[in-house]
Amino acid sequence: MFTYEKKLQYPINIKKPDPKAAMIIISQYGGPDGELSASMNYLSQRYGMPYPELKGLLTDIGTEELGHFEMIGTMVYQLTRNLTPEQIKQAGFDTYFVDHTAGIYPQAASGAPWTASYIQSKGDVIADLHNDLAAEQKARTTYDNILRLVDDPDIIDPIRFLREREIVHYQRFGEGLRLATDKLYSKNFYAFNPSFDKCAVKK
Amino acid sequence: MTRKQRMLRELSAAQFAKWELHLYLDTHPSDMRAAALFAEYEKKCEAMRAAYEEEFGPLTAPTGEGAEWLKNPWPWDIERCD
Repeated sequence: MFTYEKKLQYPINIKKPDPKAAMIIISQYGGPDGELSASMNYLSQRYGMPYPELKGLLTDIGTEELGHFEMIGTMVYQLTRNLTPEQIKQAGFDTYFVDHTAGIYPQAASGAPWTASYIQSKGDVIADLHNDLAAEQKARTTYDNILRLVDDPDIIDPIRFLREREIVHYQRFGEGLRLATDKLYSKNFYAFNPSFDKCAVKK
Repeated sequence: MTRKQRMLRELSAAQFAKWELHLYLDTHPSDMRAAALFAEYEKKCEAMRAAYEEEFGPLTAPTGEGAEWLKNPWPWDIERCD
Protein backbone atom coordinates (compact mmCIF):
# COMPACT_ATOMS: atom_id res chain seq x y z
CA MET A 1 0.00 0.00 0.00
CA PHE A 2 1.00 3.60 -0.10
CA THR A 3 1.04 6.18 2.67
CA TYR A 4 0.76 9.88 1.96
CA GLU A 5 3.23 12.30 3.46
CA LYS A 6 1.88 15.85 3.65
CA LYS A 7 4.98 17.57 2.29
CA LEU A 8 6.89 17.95 -0.96
CA GLN A 9 10.18 16.16 -1.57
CA TYR A 10 11.74 19.56 -2.32
CA PRO A 11 10.25 22.97 -1.46
CA ILE A 12 8.38 24.96 -4.11
CA ASN A 13 7.30 28.56 -3.61
CA ILE A 14 6.68 30.37 -6.88
CA LYS A 15 5.82 33.98 -6.17
CA LYS A 16 5.11 35.16 -9.73
CA PRO A 17 2.34 33.46 -11.74
CA ASP A 18 3.44 32.63 -15.31
CA PRO A 19 0.88 30.67 -17.35
CA LYS A 20 3.23 30.44 -20.33
CA ALA A 21 5.83 28.61 -18.21
CA ALA A 22 3.04 26.44 -16.75
CA MET A 23 2.04 25.29 -20.24
CA ILE A 24 5.61 24.11 -20.87
CA ILE A 25 6.21 22.53 -17.46
CA ILE A 26 2.91 20.60 -17.61
CA SER A 27 4.64 18.25 -20.06
CA GLN A 28 6.47 16.73 -17.11
CA TYR A 29 3.06 16.16 -15.47
CA GLY A 30 1.29 14.30 -18.28
CA GLY A 31 3.65 14.31 -21.25
CA PRO A 32 5.41 11.32 -22.88
CA ASP A 33 8.51 11.48 -20.65
CA GLY A 34 6.82 13.07 -17.65
CA GLU A 35 6.71 11.96 -14.02
CA LEU A 36 3.35 10.16 -14.36
CA SER A 37 4.73 8.09 -17.24
CA ALA A 38 7.86 7.29 -15.25
CA SER A 39 5.91 6.21 -12.18
CA MET A 40 3.44 4.06 -14.14
CA ASN A 41 6.36 2.51 -16.07
CA TYR A 42 8.25 1.36 -13.00
CA LEU A 43 5.32 0.50 -10.74
CA SER A 44 3.87 -1.70 -13.53
CA GLN A 45 7.14 -3.29 -14.63
CA ARG A 46 8.16 -4.35 -11.11
CA TYR A 47 5.79 -7.37 -11.19
CA GLY A 48 7.84 -8.87 -14.01
CA MET A 49 11.18 -8.40 -12.27
CA PRO A 50 12.91 -11.68 -11.38
CA TYR A 51 15.34 -10.44 -8.69
CA PRO A 52 14.63 -8.80 -5.32
CA GLU A 53 17.08 -5.91 -5.91
CA LEU A 54 15.11 -4.97 -9.03
CA LYS A 55 11.71 -5.36 -7.37
CA GLY A 56 12.96 -2.96 -4.69
CA LEU A 57 14.54 -0.54 -7.13
CA LEU A 58 11.46 -0.24 -9.36
CA THR A 59 9.13 0.08 -6.36
CA ASP A 60 11.29 2.78 -4.80
CA ILE A 61 11.98 4.83 -7.93
CA GLY A 62 8.34 4.44 -9.05
CA THR A 63 7.27 5.80 -5.67
CA GLU A 64 9.72 8.72 -5.79
CA GLU A 65 8.32 9.61 -9.23
CA LEU A 66 4.87 10.00 -7.64
CA GLY A 67 6.46 12.60 -5.36
CA HIS A 68 7.85 14.33 -8.46
CA PHE A 69 4.42 14.17 -10.09
CA GLU A 70 3.14 16.09 -7.05
CA MET A 71 5.99 18.62 -7.35
CA ILE A 72 5.19 19.33 -11.01
CA GLY A 73 1.47 19.61 -10.22
CA THR A 74 2.37 22.10 -7.49
CA MET A 75 4.45 24.16 -9.92
CA VAL A 76 1.68 24.29 -12.54
CA TYR A 77 -0.83 25.17 -9.82
CA GLN A 78 1.28 28.00 -8.40
CA LEU A 79 2.10 29.35 -11.87
CA THR A 80 -1.60 29.68 -12.79
CA ARG A 81 -3.00 31.34 -9.66
CA ASN A 82 -5.06 34.55 -9.65
CA LEU A 83 -5.00 35.14 -13.40
CA THR A 84 -7.15 37.73 -15.12
CA PRO A 85 -8.87 36.95 -18.45
CA GLU A 86 -6.42 39.39 -20.08
CA GLN A 87 -3.37 37.56 -18.70
CA ILE A 88 -4.87 34.23 -19.80
CA LYS A 89 -5.36 35.46 -23.38
CA GLN A 90 -2.02 37.21 -23.55
CA ALA A 91 -0.09 34.11 -22.43
CA GLY A 92 -1.92 31.81 -24.83
CA PHE A 93 -3.28 29.94 -21.80
CA ASP A 94 -6.83 30.32 -23.17
CA THR A 95 -6.78 27.01 -25.07
CA TYR A 96 -6.08 25.16 -21.81
CA PHE A 97 -8.34 27.38 -19.71
CA VAL A 98 -11.42 26.75 -21.84
CA ASP A 99 -11.38 23.02 -20.96
CA HIS A 100 -9.85 22.96 -17.49
CA THR A 101 -10.11 26.49 -16.01
CA ALA A 102 -7.06 26.45 -13.69
CA GLY A 103 -7.47 22.77 -12.80
CA ILE A 104 -4.47 20.47 -13.21
CA TYR A 105 -4.87 17.95 -16.05
CA PRO A 106 -2.24 15.41 -17.17
CA GLN A 107 -1.33 16.47 -20.67
CA ALA A 108 1.75 17.18 -22.77
CA ALA A 109 2.73 20.77 -23.62
CA SER A 110 1.17 20.15 -27.04
CA GLY A 111 -2.20 19.49 -25.35
CA ALA A 112 -2.17 15.73 -26.02
CA PRO A 113 -3.71 13.99 -22.98
CA TRP A 114 -1.69 11.44 -20.97
CA THR A 115 -2.01 7.93 -22.31
CA ALA A 116 -0.73 4.50 -21.25
CA SER A 117 0.89 4.30 -24.69
CA TYR A 118 3.62 6.49 -23.14
CA ILE A 119 4.73 3.57 -20.99
CA GLN A 120 6.21 0.13 -21.64
CA SER A 121 5.87 -3.09 -19.67
CA LYS A 122 7.45 -5.94 -21.60
CA GLY A 123 7.81 -8.56 -18.88
CA ASP A 124 11.47 -9.01 -19.84
CA VAL A 125 14.13 -7.71 -17.49
CA ILE A 126 16.58 -6.58 -20.19
CA ALA A 127 13.94 -4.92 -22.37
CA ASP A 128 12.31 -3.15 -19.42
CA LEU A 129 15.53 -1.90 -17.82
CA HIS A 130 16.79 -0.53 -21.12
CA ASN A 131 13.46 1.25 -21.49
CA ASP A 132 13.91 2.71 -18.00
CA LEU A 133 17.44 3.93 -18.69
CA ALA A 134 16.11 5.66 -21.81
CA ALA A 135 13.14 7.08 -19.89
CA GLU A 136 15.47 8.76 -17.38
CA GLN A 137 17.59 10.30 -20.13
CA LYS A 138 14.51 11.53 -22.02
CA ALA A 139 13.17 13.13 -18.85
CA ARG A 140 16.59 14.70 -18.24
CA THR A 141 16.49 16.15 -21.78
CA THR A 142 13.00 17.54 -21.18
CA TYR A 143 14.21 19.25 -17.99
CA ASP A 144 17.20 20.64 -19.91
CA ASN A 145 14.76 22.03 -22.48
CA ILE A 146 12.57 23.55 -19.76
CA LEU A 147 15.67 25.22 -18.28
CA ARG A 148 16.38 26.70 -21.73
CA LEU A 149 12.93 28.30 -21.74
CA VAL A 150 12.43 29.71 -18.21
CA ASP A 151 14.28 32.41 -16.26
CA ASP A 152 12.49 32.69 -12.89
CA PRO A 153 14.80 31.35 -10.12
CA ASP A 154 11.72 30.10 -8.22
CA ILE A 155 11.08 27.76 -11.19
CA ILE A 156 14.70 26.95 -12.03
CA ASP A 157 15.61 25.72 -8.53
CA PRO A 158 13.09 22.84 -8.22
CA ILE A 159 13.47 21.96 -11.94
CA ARG A 160 17.23 21.55 -11.39
CA PHE A 161 16.52 19.28 -8.43
CA LEU A 162 14.23 17.11 -10.58
CA ARG A 163 16.78 17.03 -13.39
CA GLU A 164 19.40 15.73 -10.98
CA ARG A 165 17.09 12.96 -9.83
CA GLU A 166 16.90 11.67 -13.43
CA ILE A 167 20.67 11.30 -13.43
CA VAL A 168 20.73 9.47 -10.08
CA HIS A 169 17.94 7.13 -11.21
CA TYR A 170 19.82 6.46 -14.46
CA GLN A 171 22.86 5.46 -12.40
CA ARG A 172 20.80 3.11 -10.19
CA PHE A 173 19.06 1.52 -13.20
CA GLY A 174 22.48 0.98 -14.79
CA GLU A 175 23.58 -0.88 -11.67
CA GLY A 176 20.31 -2.82 -11.77
CA LEU A 177 20.97 -3.88 -15.36
CA ARG A 178 24.48 -5.00 -14.37
CA LEU A 179 23.04 -7.01 -11.46
CA ALA A 180 20.59 -8.65 -13.86
CA THR A 181 23.09 -9.55 -16.56
CA ASP A 182 25.44 -11.02 -13.93
CA LYS A 183 22.73 -13.54 -13.15
CA LEU A 184 21.87 -14.40 -16.76
CA TYR A 185 23.61 -16.89 -19.03
CA SER A 186 26.88 -15.07 -19.77
CA LYS A 187 27.26 -16.40 -23.32
CA ASN A 188 23.81 -15.18 -24.34
CA PHE A 189 21.81 -12.83 -22.10
CA TYR A 190 18.75 -13.44 -24.26
CA ALA A 191 18.81 -17.23 -23.96
CA PHE A 192 15.92 -17.17 -21.50
CA ASN A 193 13.67 -14.76 -19.65
CA PRO A 194 14.10 -15.60 -15.95
CA SER A 195 10.64 -14.33 -15.02
CA PHE A 196 8.97 -16.60 -17.62
CA ASP A 197 11.21 -19.53 -18.49
CA LYS A 198 11.25 -20.87 -14.93
CA CYS A 199 12.85 -24.21 -15.74
CA ALA A 200 15.89 -22.49 -17.23
CA VAL A 201 16.62 -20.24 -14.24
CA LYS A 202 20.09 -20.78 -12.81
CA LYS A 203 20.03 -21.81 -9.18
CA MET B 1 11.90 31.97 6.30
CA THR B 2 9.55 31.00 9.14
CA ARG B 3 10.51 28.56 11.88
CA LYS B 4 8.04 26.11 10.37
CA GLN B 5 9.60 26.38 6.90
CA ARG B 6 13.10 26.01 8.33
CA MET B 7 12.19 22.90 10.32
CA LEU B 8 10.44 21.36 7.31
CA ARG B 9 13.43 22.13 5.10
CA GLU B 10 15.88 20.57 7.57
CA LEU B 11 13.69 17.48 7.85
CA SER B 12 13.48 17.26 4.05
CA ALA B 13 17.27 17.49 3.75
CA ALA B 14 17.75 14.63 6.22
CA GLN B 15 15.01 12.59 4.53
CA PHE B 16 16.67 13.18 1.19
CA ALA B 17 20.02 11.85 2.44
CA LYS B 18 18.22 8.83 3.91
CA TRP B 19 16.37 8.22 0.63
CA GLU B 20 19.55 8.46 -1.45
CA LEU B 21 21.15 5.82 0.79
CA HIS B 22 18.02 3.69 0.52
CA LEU B 23 18.17 3.71 -3.31
CA TYR B 24 21.91 3.05 -3.23
CA LEU B 25 21.33 0.07 -0.93
CA ASP B 26 18.84 -1.41 -3.44
CA THR B 27 21.76 -2.10 -5.78
CA HIS B 28 24.45 -2.45 -3.06
CA PRO B 29 22.61 -4.45 -0.38
CA SER B 30 25.78 -5.69 1.32
CA ASP B 31 27.47 -2.30 1.75
CA MET B 32 27.62 -2.18 5.56
CA ARG B 33 29.01 1.35 5.71
CA ALA B 34 26.07 2.69 3.73
CA ALA B 35 23.66 0.64 5.85
CA ALA B 36 25.12 2.15 9.03
CA LEU B 37 24.85 5.65 7.59
CA PHE B 38 21.26 4.90 6.62
CA ALA B 39 20.47 3.85 10.21
CA GLU B 40 22.04 7.07 11.45
CA TYR B 41 19.86 9.21 9.16
CA GLU B 42 16.80 7.17 10.04
CA LYS B 43 17.26 8.04 13.69
CA LYS B 44 17.86 11.69 12.84
CA CYS B 45 14.75 11.86 10.63
CA GLU B 46 12.59 10.27 13.28
CA ALA B 47 13.61 12.83 15.90
CA MET B 48 13.19 15.76 13.49
CA ARG B 49 9.80 14.52 12.34
CA ALA B 50 8.57 14.12 15.91
CA ALA B 51 9.74 17.65 16.78
CA TYR B 52 8.00 19.09 13.71
CA GLU B 53 4.75 17.18 14.23
CA GLU B 54 4.65 18.18 17.88
CA GLU B 55 4.64 21.84 16.88
CA PHE B 56 2.91 21.95 13.51
CA GLY B 57 0.67 18.89 13.23
CA PRO B 58 0.76 15.49 11.53
CA LEU B 59 2.76 14.79 8.36
CA THR B 60 1.35 11.38 7.47
CA ALA B 61 -2.27 10.29 7.12
CA PRO B 62 -2.10 7.40 9.63
CA THR B 63 -0.86 9.64 12.45
CA GLY B 64 -3.17 12.54 11.73
CA GLU B 65 -6.83 12.80 12.61
CA GLY B 66 -9.69 15.13 11.83
CA ALA B 67 -9.11 18.86 12.10
CA GLU B 68 -5.35 18.52 12.71
CA TRP B 69 -4.84 16.54 9.48
CA LEU B 70 -7.10 18.81 7.44
CA LYS B 71 -5.41 22.01 8.51
CA ASN B 72 -3.98 24.26 5.77
CA PRO B 73 -1.52 24.63 4.18
CA TRP B 74 -1.34 21.57 1.94
CA PRO B 75 1.95 20.90 0.16
CA TRP B 76 0.96 22.76 -3.01
CA ASP B 77 -0.22 25.88 -1.18
CA ILE B 78 1.99 28.94 -1.25
CA GLU B 79 3.39 29.80 2.16
CA ARG B 80 4.22 33.31 3.21
CA CYS B 81 7.86 33.84 4.01
CA ASP B 82 7.39 36.63 6.55
